[in-house]
Amino acid sequence: MNRKRRTTWWAQAILAVAAALFATPLVWMLLTSFKPAEQIAADPHRVLPVEWRAANYVEAVTTMPYFRYLRNSLLLCAGSVVGTLWSCSLAAYAFTRLRWPMRNQVFGVMVATMLLPWHVTMIPRFLLLRELGLYNTLGALIVPTFFGEAFSIFLLRQFFLTIPEEISEAARLDGCSEWRIFWRIMLPLARPALATVALFQFIASWNDFNGPLLYLNDPSRFPLAYGLEQFVSSYSSQTNLLMASAVLFTLPMVLLFFFAQRTFIRGIATTGMKG
Amino acid sequence: MSAIRMRAAWTALLFLLPWLAGFFALVVFPFGASLYWSFQQYDMLTPPRYVGTANYARLAEELVTGERFGQAAWNTAYYALLSVPLSIVLGVSLAVMLSWNVRGRAVYRTIFFLPSVVPAVASSILWLWLLDPQAGLVNYVLSLVGLPGPGWFNSTAEAAWLPAWFAGNGGFGSKDGLVLMSLWGVGNFMIIYLAALGDIPPQLYEAAELDGAGPVRRFRHITLPMLSPVIFFNLVMGLIQAVQAFTQIYIVSEGQGAPAGSTLVLSLYIFLSAFKYLDMGYASAIAWLVFVVIVAVTVALFRTSHRWVFYQGAGR
Repeated sequence: MNRKRRTTWWAQAILAVAAALFATPLVWMLLTSFKPAEQIAADPHRVLPVEWRAANYVEAVTTMPYFRYLRNSLLLCAGSVVGTLWSCSLAAYAFTRLRWPMRNQVFGVMVATMLLPWHVTMIPRFLLLRELGLYNTLGALIVPTFFGEAFSIFLLRQFFLTIPEEISEAARLDGCSEWRIFWRIMLPLARPALATVALFQFIASWNDFNGPLLYLNDPSRFPLAYGLEQFVSSYSSQTNLLMASAVLFTLPMVLLFFFAQRTFIRGIATTGMKG
Repeated sequence: MSAIRMRAAWTALLFLLPWLAGFFALVVFPFGASLYWSFQQYDMLTPPRYVGTANYARLAEELVTGERFGQAAWNTAYYALLSVPLSIVLGVSLAVMLSWNVRGRAVYRTIFFLPSVVPAVASSILWLWLLDPQAGLVNYVLSLVGLPGPGWFNSTAEAAWLPAWFAGNGGFGSKDGLVLMSLWGVGNFMIIYLAALGDIPPQLYEAAELDGAGPVRRFRHITLPMLSPVIFFNLVMGLIQAVQAFTQIYIVSEGQGAPAGSTLVLSLYIFLSAFKYLDMGYASAIAWLVFVVIVAVTVALFRTSHRWVFYQGAGR
């Protein structure tokens, strides 16, 4: 033990320096968001705001249609989470609990689609969704989630595999239909995994920038991620407002992380460890 | 097939239906269609016209002359080959240090992970400000220690030419800023390494210690081999993700690869070709070429993996 201490003092020092470097950008973002514009123009490097100006936040949410963007973001997230949970849990059930020909091969193909770069399918997908009349609606971003997505199916399958087969087997002998086994037994047991998938989808939709960039052109339909970018190009000189809006946009993700830390870590570890 | 198994297969089909429909409509069809269009000239306004391999010939030509596509290929390779290895080194180092019994472990872990929950749009806005050549914090800190301030997102300079930096030419440019941003978000990978480190049986270290192995040799002969499958996984996934990086690059480059095309990466170039210049055929050709290269690199990595990846229980 004594020897172990000796090897860790320098690790302790390096970690402290690294932590300071990792934390500084976020601290700087917070500090800048409270500074008056004149201070940033005259003395951008002064660490603390000369006057803590909370009004920056009020200005940020009023110079852009913030609440409209927020509403769109929440709609997008809610719709996508419902779509993903529905389509992916169904598929994951078929991949774990039902027996059908070529199951493993089909599963392999599905996993392989995870490696498909998004640009290869981007253009025809765009034209297809436009044909379906989804261009310039949030539907273009929500509807595809109702058709499953490999990453979430994979994650749910990994979890379903840990639920003992005997449970569904017993229900089957009692004459339960597959649908009831799925709905009444599997889904309640899989709640932690469903939470992980829902969390990841929520984050993905909240952060999604490519989707709105491709499919939306009416500002009243923009979600926050895209609306914020529009704000950058038109107010690039108002750094304090930009930082305030970036803080507002980041805050929900940070809160989610703190409140759902275990769900987070479990999800990352499950998907990363299959290598 | 017996009636019962037949029935089971039908049930399975019903459960699979949503995914299966999506698989054909949103993956297989677009995948094939973009290959088909890569041999066409198509501007979305007039019907597509067959042009043979003209799109690919144009790519080959631009690759040789280093024009648009050549530039985009270089920028992408530069970004991927710098950001991925550096993230692995940084991620593994942080995870290994955290796995020792240091004080404040949970706090450090949170601090390192937090940047990776910051949305790309927000972190891009933030880093544009931090790396502002005049008003930014980074150049200010550099000036305090007497180092010249690089031009970052305003400069076409390319990193690795450190000597130029010390000579005062501001050797870090736009792509290096992007690499720095990617390193800030290394927390995701770090968590995976941490989980893998937790799975290494402590007996291995105890045995090595009894045999008199120091910390360096324990790291070299136990930690690294035991981590190698996860490192390999992150190398493959990291390269694939780096080639597809888009949001942060779009934002810091004003959506055009500014300055002077120095951040014009392939994903951005495909987007611009398709939706700005309405050159769907050409854009599809780039997308397919990128796809083929990704597959080739992945296969090559898997083929050579047995030489340096240690798979436990795989026998010898």
